[in-house]
Amino acid sequence: MKNFSQSLIRLLLLVGTISLAPYSHAARIGDISETNLLEQAIRFFSLADPALRYALIGSILLGVGCGLLGGFIVVRRMALVGDALSHAVLPGVAIGFLWNMSKDPVAIFIGATVAGLFGTMVVSWIKETTRLKEDTALGLVLAAFFAIGICMVTMIQRLPSGNKSGIDKFLFGQAAAIGSRDVQLIALVTGLSVLVVVVFYKELLVSSFDPGFARVAGFPVRALHYTLMLLLAFSVVVALQAVGVVLVSAMLITPAAAAYLLTDRLHRMLWISSLVGMFAGVLGAFFSFLKPNLPTGPFMVLGATTVFAGAFLFSPKHGVVVHWWKFRSRGARVKRENTMKGIYHVLEDHAFNGEGVELTELAQKRRVTLEEARIEARELVRHGMATLNNEDTTLFLTPEGWHRASSIVRNHRLWELYLTNEAQIAADHVHEDAEKIEHVLGDEVVRQLERRLSYATQDPHGKKIPSWEEVRERGNRATRQERPLGYNRHE
Amino acid sequence: MPLWQECDLIWSFNVMNPSEIPLPLEIHDLTVSYQKKPVLWGIDLEVPAGKLIGIVGPNGAGKSTLIKAVLGLLPHSSGWVKIFGKPPRENARRVGYVPQRESVDWDFPVTVMDVVLMGRYGHLGLVKRPTSKDRDIARECLDKVKLLPFANRQIANLSGGQQQRVFLARALAQESDLYFMDEPFAGVDAATESAIITLLHELKGRGKTLMVVHHDLPTARNYFDMLLLLNMRVVAFGATEEVFTYDLLQKTYGGRLTILSEVADAVRQRG
Amino acid sequence: MSELLPPFDFQKVIVAPWTEGLGTTGWVALMGFFVTAACGLVGNYLILRRMALVGDAISHSVLPGIASAFLFTQSRSSGIMFLGALLAGVVTTLLIELIHKKSRVKQDSAIGIAFTSLFAIGVIMISLFASKIDLDQECVLYGEIGFVPFQPMMQLFGWQVAPTPVAVMGAVMLGTLLLLLLFYKELLVSSFDAGLASSLGINATAVHYSLMCWLSIVVVSAFESVGAILVIAMLILPGATASLLSYRLPSIHALTLLHAALSSILGVHLSFWLDCSTAGAMVVMGAVLFTLAWLLSPGQGLVGRWLRQRKQRLEAPPELMETVNAR
Repeated sequence: MKNFSQSLIRLLLLVGTISLAPYSHAARIGDISETNLLEQAIRFFSLADPALRYALIGSILLGVGCGLLGGFIVVRRMALVGDALSHAVLPGVAIGFLWNMSKDPVAIFIGATVAGLFGTMVVSWIKETTRLKEDTALGLVLAAFFAIGICMVTMIQRLPSGNKSGIDKFLFGQAAAIGSRDVQLIALVTGLSVLVVVVFYKELLVSSFDPGFARVAGFPVRALHYTLMLLLAFSVVVALQAVGVVLVSAMLITPAAAAYLLTDRLHRMLWISSLVGMFAGVLGAFFSFLKPNLPTGPFMVLGATTVFAGAFLFSPKHGVVVHWWKFRSRGARVKRENTMKGIYHVLEDHAFNGEGVELTELAQKRRVTLEEARIEARELVRHGMATLNNEDTTLFLTPEGWHRASSIVRNHRLWELYLTNEAQIAADHVHEDAEKIEHVLGDEVVRQLERRLSYATQDPHGKKIPSWEEVRERGNRATRQERPLGYNRHE
Repeated sequence: MPLWQECDLIWSFNVMNPSEIPLPLEIHDLTVSYQKKPVLWGIDLEVPAGKLIGIVGPNGAGKSTLIKAVLGLLPHSSGWVKIFGKPPRENARRVGYVPQRESVDWDFPVTVMDVVLMGRYGHLGLVKRPTSKDRDIARECLDKVKLLPFANRQIANLSGGQQQRVFLARALAQESDLYFMDEPFAGVDAATESAIITLLHELKGRGKTLMVVHHDLPTARNYFDMLLLLNMRVVAFGATEEVFTYDLLQKTYGGRLTILSEVADAVRQRG
Repeated sequence: MSELLPPFDFQKVIVAPWTEGLGTTGWVALMGFFVTAACGLVGNYLILRRMALVGDAISHSVLPGIASAFLFTQSRSSGIMFLGALLAGVVTTLLIELIHKKSRVKQDSAIGIAFTSLFAIGVIMISLFASKIDLDQECVLYGEIGFVPFQPMMQLFGWQVAPTPVAVMGAVMLGTLLLLLLFYKELLVSSFDAGLASSLGINATAVHYSLMCWLSIVVVSAFESVGAILVIAMLILPGATASLLSYRLPSIHALTLLHAALSSILGVHLSFWLDCSTAGAMVVMGAVLFTLAWLLSPGQGLVGRWLRQRKQRLEAPPELMETVNAR
């Protein structure tokens, strides 16, 4: 790790002087035995080395292609299909190699694609004809095909010509081994993926979101599924050189999952995912270039994972830390809850007809100016409790907001009832106290209060106490059903 | 009228007796089985146009299966289905579909507007993108289900009732003549339910035919013009007042009808 | 081509391993059996719990655990390695749950992200500190039972029992068997229905994590001989084959052991014939056994299914006929 941090520090120093970097170094990447890290980094950024240029262009294109397809893989819940596919190609790689005993990219491409697709077909056969579940079928095919591949690779390595073939580079990837024909192949596959996604975006969107509906509307869902699988197989195969069999699936899943946390629209997700993939590709190529014998794949994967971790923690909408930060301050929370209570009261005045609340009405209820009400409303929007209409005049609670609003009103009224019933305090004196305590009552206490009050439905002022069912009902965000995977979504 | 519809008309006039307008839905001897076990058995059905039809029956009676088989989402082992006189796939644009809410992933990165626009996709054909006219139609449909202010929300940020209405708006945007709806009232609050049923009646008023899977017997009587009582086969199909009788319901629900007593009350109340 | 595929010499492939090199062959086959049996038994519960791919994830992510154990102790001491792997296994499980519960990322993606990242860290550690970690990249992927040192023998009560790695693996296998027998009830109930388990006073979470821990231990002890990826095959193939042949858990366990024995012995022969990776050959034979079961299983087999389909047409169930008649 020490080497590592050193190289990072040097890298930072270097960034400023990159443009002045010295240029040509003729040595091929593979030949370097002991070189200064700084020198290597400079060589990387000077792009003087043709082999390096191929590696870099190849990695960038791969990142884009994998990121793009990965977007669909993630939303269709086929993440592990990519994993199985990438392992299942290994026997095909070996057969492609045996074709004319060389690493002919085209032969390997064809062999690997056929093997990968055959593997995914076996998965669906197993699923259709036995009671084995999808995860078992995937794991089974993945490992069995991989074992066949390993047997063949070890047999090839035994051959005199196979020994120095470098076929083992397919396992972890070596971007430096990418040649001009590989780059052409990668460019072709990435170009094809981009083309298909651009042309059939609408069809892919609807068939990924709701395959049943798409079929009824007359779209060839099955054909789209197979097109996607074919492209996926292509990308996995061309990515083998650079990323390696084991980690290809990460290039499909991780950038897309990061993008999934950063946006709520599919087309933006695809853009972000491609960019993250590209970034990871460059990073992987760079680090594996620094020292001989460093594999590319793992660095690409870690690059992508870093972005994912960033998104997981700091995504503006779904980030864990951001979420925590937003909900940290108690004073602000009490204020928000009071706004929501106001909204609830307005809705109650309308007997819950209609879902929106006019800001003017809210301002009246809360006894604040319209401008103040608007600020309060924006605060709710910022916390995902509500949305505003385009004219900024009407506020709509989200399920989360509904849940909070009705819970707070419920707490308030239960407490008032408790004070009048149990503590014998006059009904007109309980409001102030309830105002304070409504924000701090925990679930446990509320349940006990309710039991104590024998599930009363009216508060001392004759208003209805929202029942627990109502609180839950209104807050019922679509349940996160766990269908583990979505392999044959067209069925 | 779009070109394809005109072609359809000319075609149908050529083939058939012009006086005989094809029924929205004809099913003949439809049998669907799941791993050798039949789920639907010998279904024969002729559905008249312009009706709001409820499909009721106990759990596992094959209500959803019927819809899915008719739409070609499930293979059937015998029989045929015709929609407006043609196999379903050839008339895809005249069919609207509201699947069960659980059938999709609501975390999917699309907005309410995106989903409703999907209703227009069938009219666009392959490759073409939605136009501003399609957007206007989608916006209109959203307004009809009172979801216009929610157009830009991601679909996970909706309550159950709102999600159901998004599906409904999408079906409206399809501008079809025959609708299939799979439990549109499941997990929906009372206010939404009555809003939906009003909308369905309005659609019927415009000559559309609607087939709705419904699981709540007491309300079924008030909601629908016609009822299809289903339990693996068609127990009865006819006008609600004729079919909603104790005997037929008993036959549909068999012995397991604890709610039958409720229904019996309902029937008795009706006199 | 001909030089790749050696001719099938009965004497050399079938007989010689047992007459000439009995010592080595025997130990290799026994080692294979222990690995496959231990993995297969734990794997049964992974399949039942639909967690086969969590097994996949853990088998990948023990790598950084092992690599860091190497790095800190500079030795192959099994104790530390077990500890490292155990830690890695628990971290993987927690990471998957963290990602999938705290964000909207689905479980399949969470698994994919967690294990590829950990595996990548492991590979980088190995290649950065190659001189300090006595593991090469290929060995990580597919291991090699044939190269596991079979000398010196382990001494027990003055007897030469077995080579150390075989003895360790055997102990792990017996431990697995013992744990399954002891906690059969808990495992069964919590795998079938976690809710029911809690109502019966069984802590399903504890069972879950114990299973994951034990899985890590089994995986790490199998690691040296079969590598990270073939372990998945050992975890899933025996159980999957067994569950095609039987519906009852005890007989599934028995069939798992049978599958383990057959696949390791046949695998040894295959590797003798083709002169290829022994572990790979064992898995290939395991896959062949699975395919046979898939084709010929009495209940779910493809052949039986095809025959039945030809024989009988769809028949209406009796209860339906009653209602039709009643009409």
